[in-house]
Amino acid sequence: MAQPVADTGRSLTMARAGREAVIAEMRKNPNIFVIGEDVAKLGGVFGTTVGMADEFGAGRVIDTPISETGFIGIATGAAMAGMRPIVEIAFVDFIGVCFNQIFNFAAKTHYMSGGQFKVPLTMMIGYGGGYNDAAQHSQCLIATLAHVPGIRIATPADSYDAKGLMHTCLRDDNLTIWMVHKRIWGLGWLGTALKTAIATVPEEEYAIPFGQARIWREGKDVTLVGYGITVHHALQAADKLAAEGISAEVLDLRTIVPMDRDAIFKSVSKTGRLVVADEDYLNCGVTAEVLAVITERDPRVLKAPAVRVAFPDVPIPFSRPMEDFCLPDPDKLVAAAKKTLGKS
Amino acid sequence: MKPTAKQRIWMYEMMLTSRKLDEQVFEAYWEGKKPVFNMGKGPLPGEMHQSFGQEPTAVGVCAHLGADDAVGAGHRPHHVAIARGVNLKRMAAELFGKKTGLSGGRGGHMHLYDKSVSFFCSGIIAEGMGPGAGIALARKMQGKPGIAVSYNGEGAANQGAFHEVMNMASLWKLPFVAVIEDNKYAVSVTKAESTVVPSWKRASGAYACYGEYVAGNDPDLIFEAAGRCIERARKGEGPSILEIETERLHGHFIGDSAGYRSKEEVAAQKDPIPLYRKRLLDEKVISEADMAALEARVKKDVDEAMKFGRESDYPAPNEALERVFA
Amino acid sequence: MTDIVVPADLWDTEDEGVLFLWVYPDGSIVEKGKLIAELTVEKAQLELTAPASGRLKIRVAPETIIRKGQVLGTIEPV
Repeated sequence: MAQPVADTGRSLTMARAGREAVIAEMRKNPNIFVIGEDVAKLGGVFGTTVGMADEFGAGRVIDTPISETGFIGIATGAAMAGMRPIVEIAFVDFIGVCFNQIFNFAAKTHYMSGGQFKVPLTMMIGYGGGYNDAAQHSQCLIATLAHVPGIRIATPADSYDAKGLMHTCLRDDNLTIWMVHKRIWGLGWLGTALKTAIATVPEEEYAIPFGQARIWREGKDVTLVGYGITVHHALQAADKLAAEGISAEVLDLRTIVPMDRDAIFKSVSKTGRLVVADEDYLNCGVTAEVLAVITERDPRVLKAPAVRVAFPDVPIPFSRPMEDFCLPDPDKLVAAAKKTLGKS
Repeated sequence: MKPTAKQRIWMYEMMLTSRKLDEQVFEAYWEGKKPVFNMGKGPLPGEMHQSFGQEPTAVGVCAHLGADDAVGAGHRPHHVAIARGVNLKRMAAELFGKKTGLSGGRGGHMHLYDKSVSFFCSGIIAEGMGPGAGIALARKMQGKPGIAVSYNGEGAANQGAFHEVMNMASLWKLPFVAVIEDNKYAVSVTKAESTVVPSWKRASGAYACYGEYVAGNDPDLIFEAAGRCIERARKGEGPSILEIETERLHGHFIGDSAGYRSKEEVAAQKDPIPLYRKRLLDEKVISEADMAALEARVKKDVDEAMKFGRESDYPAPNEALERVFA
Repeated sequence: MTDIVVPADLWDTEDEGVLFLWVYPDGSIVEKGKLIAELTVEKAQLELTAPASGRLKIRVAPETIIRKGQVLGTIEPV
């Protein structure tokens, strides 16, 4: 689905687009509040809540002590009692200290109570590396979160999708996690703006549903599947491949849970060749799930083995040459595409 | 504030109901599990943490609570659920895993939920503290009356969640009471072996909130202390830590013979229910005839609940896939 | 014609910043007071709003280092 052309021509960063959705929903619904570390005075470590404490007050944009288990539990209880909290966890690596509240409580309360208690809770989480923040501050952990039932996960790759998916998350009555790769938030201190992540964003509200992948670029020779930052690697790889006469289709998963398996199968049925790119660890990851879609439905659509490009199964090294060695990038996707096409 | 006669009779009735249910559950639990103890066998499978001896902690607190309030219990929830007014038949059916259970069989013994009385459980030690305080926060944000109570063991209070939540509950003056049931054992580890301070009431100093320790496993004394804590919460004076000395008369769960406790220690334990029964009769709070009628009524209710649980149907197997998302 | 100037009080130190992005393309009609650019100074993302309504003329490209008081573009009356 091609991105609709906006009428206002506003180029917004993903941080700003997500925030616009949050503010719009908060203005409509007094039950929505934000809670997390540094969300009020600072406006969020990644700018997710800039200006919001001024507009909505300290009662609705709440700074917490460093107590993730505590405040995610509190947010879960508030959701059970009719509020609609937004919890910020700046770095996905920190889910370790509070994973119990996420996967045993927020994710499971609706089910374990037989549907009696809903948990309309949205989490905003930053993930990803490539700026030398080392093993405990650069992870993706998407597969870790996707693996537990009861969690819906959105991973927008540009600001248009960031706003539309945030509206959907905030209107959902379940645990939804809106996750943005740190290097595409649109923050100067994490690198220069990635042009393809900065889209034109309409002023009005719109919601993008879960489970609907997006074809950024149509092609016929090979399907490049990615999400978040790897969509942008794939777009650059597609340009390079085009220069060599190879037509690549770029498919953005957009939401990891639920995953648009039909779109994946349709694209690979057309091209016959599959490359999946993911900055998360390789083993038991999202790349494996995408491959499972094809092998379960009909592996005969593949003309050659699929290729996965993911972070190797090592803790993320600090030193730049080592981290760069591990990270997916456009050149690695080009090489993978050629490999599956039998060219080198 | 002392309990009225009516409240004292109610407390006895709730304690007895919990005890009678636990006795019948104990009998039923062993079906299919002899001679080989396989936890997954029989009509009541899984773990079973019973409340023998701890009944006073539930009634002394819940006697003060109404429809606006909320209660979270832990993995040993039966006495609290019953005192809170959870539907007894649907609770029994949930223990049996039947489709008529509180959660249609999806939760089981450690995950009892009854939204009609704002009751929920946490199967993970101390992790119900956050959700409990969160309900208190919601009441405050919504401008609604009502407080939240969270039940934890003395061992649970060693968990990080307890401290994180007490700090925030006090910081934000939430209408919240953290009950600590000090039954002296976290499975096999005593309080003295695990905790550097003799009483969690002392933690109230660390969190600048109110705290009490009630000795004796006595429903009337628990009632008075709970009344003080709950009144503070209702008045907006912030949370309390209410630590209650109680007795775990059986092992940690059915199947734990508690060999780590000495025979002398076990022999010295007192059962609070016969003691309270005698007190109510001695003080003429209730006549012998009325007591007999009460006890007959409790037996009938419990018999019916267990029968309902046994005779109800199981859910269709593929119902397992439903209710993940709202 | 109104200059788009980096305000002297936009940040506290005398450090340089970077023009991160223009919200509207060159030649767009913009409204006074609305966001038109983002600047990065150390770990902060700062906002630049239009000093007047009119047509935006961009003089400084993104990723350029900028200082306080610098003119980044103009707004022409329509």
